[in-house]
Amino acid sequence: MSNVINASNLTLTYDNGRKEVITDVNFTVKKGEFVFITGPSGSGKSTLLKSLYGRIRPTSGNLVVGGVDLAHVKPSKLQELRTHMGIIFQDFKLVNEWTVAKNVVLPLMIAGYSLDVQNTQAHRLLKHVKLSEHAEKYPLELSGGEQQRVGVARALAKNPVLILADEPTGNLDDYSSNVIWDLMENACQQLETTVLVVTHKIPQVFSLPYRHFIIEGKGVYEVH
Amino acid sequence: MKYIKNHLMFILPLMAILLGIEFYLVFDRTTDTYEKGLQEGYSMLVVTKEPMQIDAFRVLNRHISKSESIERERIVSKIAKGVTKEGEAKILKSLPYFYNVHLDEYISTEELIGLKEDLEASPLIKKVETFGSNYESNYRLFSFIKFTLKIFIGFMTVVSLFLIMKQMEIWKYAHKERMQIMEIFGAPLMLRSGVLFKVAIVDAIAATLIVSSIFLYLKFQWAANSGIEIMVQNKDFLFRITDIAVLLAAALLIVIISVYSVVYSTKGVQE
Repeated sequence: MSNVINASNLTLTYDNGRKEVITDVNFTVKKGEFVFITGPSGSGKSTLLKSLYGRIRPTSGNLVVGGVDLAHVKPSKLQELRTHMGIIFQDFKLVNEWTVAKNVVLPLMIAGYSLDVQNTQAHRLLKHVKLSEHAEKYPLELSGGEQQRVGVARALAKNPVLILADEPTGNLDDYSSNVIWDLMENACQQLETTVLVVTHKIPQVFSLPYRHFIIEGKGVYEVH
Repeated sequence: MKYIKNHLMFILPLMAILLGIEFYLVFDRTTDTYEKGLQEGYSMLVVTKEPMQIDAFRVLNRHISKSESIERERIVSKIAKGVTKEGEAKILKSLPYFYNVHLDEYISTEELIGLKEDLEASPLIKKVETFGSNYESNYRLFSFIKFTLKIFIGFMTVVSLFLIMKQMEIWKYAHKERMQIMEIFGAPLMLRSGVLFKVAIVDAIAATLIVSSIFLYLKFQWAANSGIEIMVQNKDFLFRITDIAVLLAAALLIVIISVYSVVYSTKGVQE
């Protein structure tokens, strides 16, 4: 299987290069794998995730995602790469002035799909995350768990190659968390989407085989 | 209500700028005519030793557009009443040549002094009378009116630009989150800022139409029915159809610059 993520001798810094978060790490993630990255607060989990969608550029080393070298990527190429990703945030990052249905089809809107296709897909995706009856509501009318399901539906909208999730259940109760994990497991299993989740705690109930990396002391280590 | 308020907060300062531009256009047209009148009505007297053609005057200074010779015979006949024919001939022979010299534009007092110096530097010219004090008082009054209006328009424009920038800050916060979320998912700049451009262009068109309507009303209703002769005569200066294009272009330029400033200041995702 081909690598979706390939990091070699990767170093990441922030604060204009003054603070090193990750130093000289190597890891690969293959197509269809489910990966957890854990580590203590402030260890650089989120920084690593941000680097995977091009928010933070590598300070040194190589980071290739979906065949794109993120150390030297042009803005237009980065834009294109992001259209093949689904990103889920702890704070949902939904557009509060848009309806749930419109939020869900954002990736399709960006890709230029027709309104008909967008409507059909919105219906399908909301049914998938069991939010059909909330299609015309606005995000702030929903509970936290429901908002995150909208976030997951949005991430799945364009059958992405890679789903990146930053503490997706960090603000949710156990029931809502389990629903979110189920949805992500399904995406990985049925669509062969690579899923990389940054979390402080791996869910206790998880049926899929997965890889687990831990960030500690500026290094990334795989736990076997 | 909030929607209307948001639009008005942008349209009103934009209108102020457009009103300033239109006032300037109207004033420029009106003063052009006035200037032309002053320039046509003005001439200086030049006394020369020998007859001079217009080209000879033009060589001395480029602002000279026309010269009219004053008939010497008529001068002699006026000053030499009761003098014999021979006497008249002698006076005529010793009399220099007189010219009314006109200018191509309404020049400043300094330029007028320079022009006088240019003429007096010629060995053919005996005397130049510019009637400078009369010219200067007209010129100073005219310059003062022009200057005050420009200051007023400039002040209005600066204040309005500040108001537009303030409104841009509001837009920035109102649209920041949406634009950043769209950026995360790979939306190109034009798609992210599409809504802003639409709103801004609609506001620019609205402001242009309102300002144009005000001036069309002033032209066809107020000026035409005012009964004030000078207004009726000059009502064509009040608004020309080409002004709509000027105003629209100015409004679009302002809104496009404003929207780009918002778009670029919201670049970069913040998590």
